[in-house]
Amino acid sequence: MQPISGQAIYVVLLRELKRYWRAKARVISSVAQSFFFLAIFGLGLGGFIGGFGGINYLSYMAPGVIGMGLLFGSVYSGVSVIFDRQFGFMKEMMVAPVSRTSIILGKILGGATTATIQGIILLVVAGIMGAFTPSLAFIAGAFASIGAMLLITSGFVGLGVAIGSTLNDFHAFQLLSTFVMWPMFMLSGVFFPIDVAPLSLQVAMLCDPMFYGVELLRWCLLGAGTDLLGPLGWLISLGVVALFNALMVGLGTYLFSRAQI
Amino acid sequence: MLSTLLRPTSGTATVNGHDILTEPDAVRRSIGYVFQDPTLDIELTGRENLDFHGRLYGLDRNTRHQRIKEVLELVQLTDRADNFVKTYSGGMKRRLEIARGLLHHPEVLFLDEPTLGLDPQTRRSIWEHILRLNQEKEVTVILTTHYTEEADYLCKRILIIDFGKVVVLDTPDNLKARLQGDVVSLLLKDPAAIEKLRPILEKQDWVHKINVVASGNNYAAMSRMMQTMPKMSSTISMAETVPEIDSRTIKEPKKTPKQTQQKSEQDITDKSLQFGGETCSKCLNLLLDSGGHRIPEIVKLADEAGVILESVEMRKPTLDDVFLSVTGRNIREEEGSFVDMVRRYRIMRQARGQPTRG
Repeated sequence: MQPISGQAIYVVLLRELKRYWRAKARVISSVAQSFFFLAIFGLGLGGFIGGFGGINYLSYMAPGVIGMGLLFGSVYSGVSVIFDRQFGFMKEMMVAPVSRTSIILGKILGGATTATIQGIILLVVAGIMGAFTPSLAFIAGAFASIGAMLLITSGFVGLGVAIGSTLNDFHAFQLLSTFVMWPMFMLSGVFFPIDVAPLSLQVAMLCDPMFYGVELLRWCLLGAGTDLLGPLGWLISLGVVALFNALMVGLGTYLFSRAQI
Repeated sequence: MLSTLLRPTSGTATVNGHDILTEPDAVRRSIGYVFQDPTLDIELTGRENLDFHGRLYGLDRNTRHQRIKEVLELVQLTDRADNFVKTYSGGMKRRLEIARGLLHHPEVLFLDEPTLGLDPQTRRSIWEHILRLNQEKEVTVILTTHYTEEADYLCKRILIIDFGKVVVLDTPDNLKARLQGDVVSLLLKDPAAIEKLRPILEKQDWVHKINVVASGNNYAAMSRMMQTMPKMSSTISMAETVPEIDSRTIKEPKKTPKQTQQKSEQDITDKSLQFGGETCSKCLNLLLDSGGHRIPEIVKLADEAGVILESVEMRKPTLDDVFLSVTGRNIREEEGSFVDMVRRYRIMRQARGQPTRG
């Protein structure tokens, strides 16, 4: 087993950043998608619903929509190992005298960084739309949310890498999007709070790791979460997100190091 | 396997004095590898691809800077270094890959089909690069190729692998010397007459070998070879491990359809009598001494048997003939994409009017 090399992690991360920076169409379309959700649902549906528990609907939705950007961005980043394999670049990394663990850690850090940048852009967009009340507490919360974003996204990049190392066909990405990412997003409590949902849906939501991610963001940005988890909801959410992160990074690393080129 | 990507099923090998099993890291540091399929990141520039590679191999900033400049000059890509790789032509990508393979100053450079699918001009220029590397930088180059003329031009020693077994390892000149005499190709007006003419020619003691080249085998005119260009200071002991490399390769399931195809090809032709592949659709290749003097005799024999000859052609044996002679079969493909293989397999089966399977 070769040692983990800092420079190898760094160079893989650097590549992710460069590619992200250059794929502006991807960045713009994903930010625009989230913006439409906020503008159309947040303002449209908000006018009809009003809000939940004293929080207006736009503010309620904002952390969830940021979460959506994080979820899709990070899983996509992880799954892109399929493209690396398909287009051969993976071989270049495999034949180098560095461990696969370093490569995958770089990949996970890179994916988490780019998805978090995406999340920060959305945070700003939502702020401009008036989703948050500016205050000292909010500014502190916004910084805390960046930490939360990194934690959430690295777990989902790990999940993406695990999937990308197992699947050989990038057409399966469509299936992944329909059957994994969209349900995860919609069950994350982005549109409605868990306490208004029927029991069966509540169970499903509690099984969704993204639910805790959104809950954590909501605590950071709005200072409150769902009543169902109680006043320590943020701690529970943080715990679940951290556990999910550890499991997924471990699983992704394991499956990646075993994957055929 | 020598690149440590695959583990040998048994035995081991040393590359540049490092054992591939116990010192894979040292092996990886001493080799450069240019894969058959492109392995560049097309979203990055040429320079960034090289920089990425340099960092992966742990070169510091100054060394990287210096060597990137050096290898770019070597492959004459300096002026395009800051363009995205997706704007490069096939030959430029290949050159960039060779440059990358050299960046960490490997002792041994593996080139897998370095000129596959390139135009003759680019191929020639890559050949020149390879020769310069070998002569000026004293890099040992191990390359695999389907082109026998490439092997002939570049290599000091040629190793032919057939169905995972090493068939022969020798210099190109020695290999060609094995086939003494000339090759005479006969194109018959009526392909069916081949069976009439062959027994007659076989009886002549000046005919060493006869080969029937059937249609459909021509575009399969590729061979699997591995060549070595040894240099003084580094050694590769591969005699023991090479058979396993290819038996391992061949075991890969994706190659199975091709093998089926090869077997079906084999069935039509006499295994022991193969040694030449030419461009005619159905012809007889003869290997004989002083071919020029024998041509009138061949024509006479054909005449007597009532076989009409369309054309007669004489040439010196090439490495193609050597390959066919030592493998005992028609030249065949071993590589290519799966889809390509299946497609070709189908075409060939259809061409022969046989039902398509699989």
